[in-house]
Amino acid sequence: MTLDEMEKEVVRLEDIQEIEDLERKYGYYFDTRRVRDVLDLFSEHTTSVEIESHGQYFGKDGVRRMYAVGVGGEAETALKDVVARRDKSSGAGFNIITQLQGVVTLGATGETAKGRWQVWLAESFPFAGRFGQYWLHGYYENEFAKDDGKWMFTKLFWNTTFFTRYETGWIVQPIVGFLPMPNPDTPPTAFHPYPSGYHFPYSFRHPVTGEEDAAVFRYRHPMAT
Amino acid sequence: MATLEELQARIQRLDDIKQIEQLQKIYGYYMDYAEWQKVVDLFSDKDPSVEEADRGVYKGKERIKKYFIDLLGGGPGKTPRPGWLSIMFQLQGVVTCDISATTAKARWYGMGMEAKPTTSLHEGELRQTWISGVYENEYVKEDGKWKIKKLHFNLTFRTPYEDGWLKVPVVGQTGPDSKILPDEPPTAYFPYPSGFHLPVSFKHPITGK
Amino acid sequence: MDLENLEKQVSLLEDIHEIECLQRIYAYYFDSHQYDKVVDLFSDNAISAEIESHGVFYGKEGIRRFYWDNIGKKGQTMPPWMIQLLIIQIGGVVDVDPDGVNAKARFQTWLPEVMPSAAGPRQVWIHGYYENEYVKEKGKWYFSKIYWNVTFYTTYETGWLRFPMLGYFPFPDYDAPPTNFHPYPSGYHVPYHFMHPVTGE
Repeated sequence: MTLDEMEKEVVRLEDIQEIEDLERKYGYYFDTRRVRDVLDLFSEHTTSVEIESHGQYFGKDGVRRMYAVGVGGEAETALKDVVARRDKSSGAGFNIITQLQGVVTLGATGETAKGRWQVWLAESFPFAGRFGQYWLHGYYENEFAKDDGKWMFTKLFWNTTFFTRYETGWIVQPIVGFLPMPNPDTPPTAFHPYPSGYHFPYSFRHPVTGEEDAAVFRYRHPMAT
Repeated sequence: MATLEELQARIQRLDDIKQIEQLQKIYGYYMDYAEWQKVVDLFSDKDPSVEEADRGVYKGKERIKKYFIDLLGGGPGKTPRPGWLSIMFQLQGVVTCDISATTAKARWYGMGMEAKPTTSLHEGELRQTWISGVYENEYVKEDGKWKIKKLHFNLTFRTPYEDGWLKVPVVGQTGPDSKILPDEPPTAYFPYPSGFHLPVSFKHPITGK
Repeated sequence: MDLENLEKQVSLLEDIHEIECLQRIYAYYFDSHQYDKVVDLFSDNAISAEIESHGVFYGKEGIRRFYWDNIGKKGQTMPPWMIQLLIIQIGGVVDVDPDGVNAKARFQTWLPEVMPSAAGPRQVWIHGYYENEYVKEKGKWYFSKIYWNVTFYTTYETGWLRFPMLGYFPFPDYDAPPTNFHPYPSGYHVPYHFMHPVTGE
């Protein structure tokens, strides 16, 4: 390799490391309700965010609307109050997002990237008026871009596998409920939790054959025509 | 200061490690979605082997195909039954890969959740289980690509959700299959509470032992 | 870019990888009860170890007391059914100082374990965060400080909402009482060592 080629390779490795760190920091900030820090991880050119069955939100403005409501618990206009109150939160509700098994694929120019992670969550929050404890599982397929030398999110998509109560488990109760937020731009785009058999498409190619993934629905619900 | 050649070799090693980590993680993703052919294609053609839990050792590419496609999959083209769930996280890999290596080893934790039958591999009521174990794997670099040479998953527990690993450490492990026999019996099946720990492939980073 | 700068960047990538491995190897040795090997992962100039509510242990001598004497019972074999440890190291964010000699990292851990209690062995779920420090000596990375803060330590049968902490477990010979022991549902957040990747705050 020439020095230039080596430098390109080192930059590529650094990019992957930075994206993996970015994803993990997102998880840590989300868990501690640091709404402002979460928002600042997103590019001004964000296309969309979508989490669970909350619905899809477009653009950086959509990011503000979703996280301020979903994580901070207040409308966007009160964002500064949310930020101010975060340290006084009661703590009875929490999320623990674990970012697992990340596979980052850089784009051809090295300025964009995609990544798949699995997430295993322990949560506790109020639902239907009572606090409950929950196990969740889901996948991220996220997109990133390098803005001014820093990697930022351009798309975040968390797809639910199951969202069950601690007392029951995923076979007995795969989904606790349907959780749309009040003001998404579109309804959820691919909410097919267990036991649908839905395969959330991979962003990576097969490491040996190089083939791309095709989303496959392995099981059709007996009531679907 | 390093020479150009030395630096290139160090960069190549970092790249190799990243590729091996991604290979193993993608293995996990394909297993979870029952994409058996894709899993088989991750293995080397030259003397690969697979051993999971108490099912015994399958050696050679043809036998690996039989293990994943016929045994775990139930046959070519078969899809998992409704309600089947398999999640096995590939966690905290420690890859041992030297400079300019064409072989490597790694230890991983596998931990996950399932909804699978327990009275046999394919038939019977689905049970929700927590599963946990250790991988000690070997990899080989062929034509510039890293592939799996040896996959060994050592089961620690596979417990019903209703019970937990202390009360019911293992459910539904019925030994090697009687129709698609392994090439060798299981080499290290000692789940909890045996106290068995699969020996580590890495050297102590400080003492070197 | 010149060779010297490129080498610095490569060294940084190698450092991050080595520290992540060190953290994971720590877990593998701990889980298989090889506490002497755990102690050997620490620098001779190690600062402290503090885990859960066991209290703070200072220096390499304290670390030996903590891992080998207290947890390892000086090499006595424990009944295998009594203790089942599984530290799963997740989500490491490693930051190496510009001098290339000191580093910090945050990890979180899920632990499905069997731990002894007054009522016999109990199956438990434990969660917590590490904020650790590392030092490079003679070309190798060592632990300088381990700090593990518990979120919850619940029984399998009940869950974190109903039973967040199984007990309070200070070791009798700690050098100082536990710092910042604020398990769920206190809402305590373990401070980050890292700056915001975009804003730099």
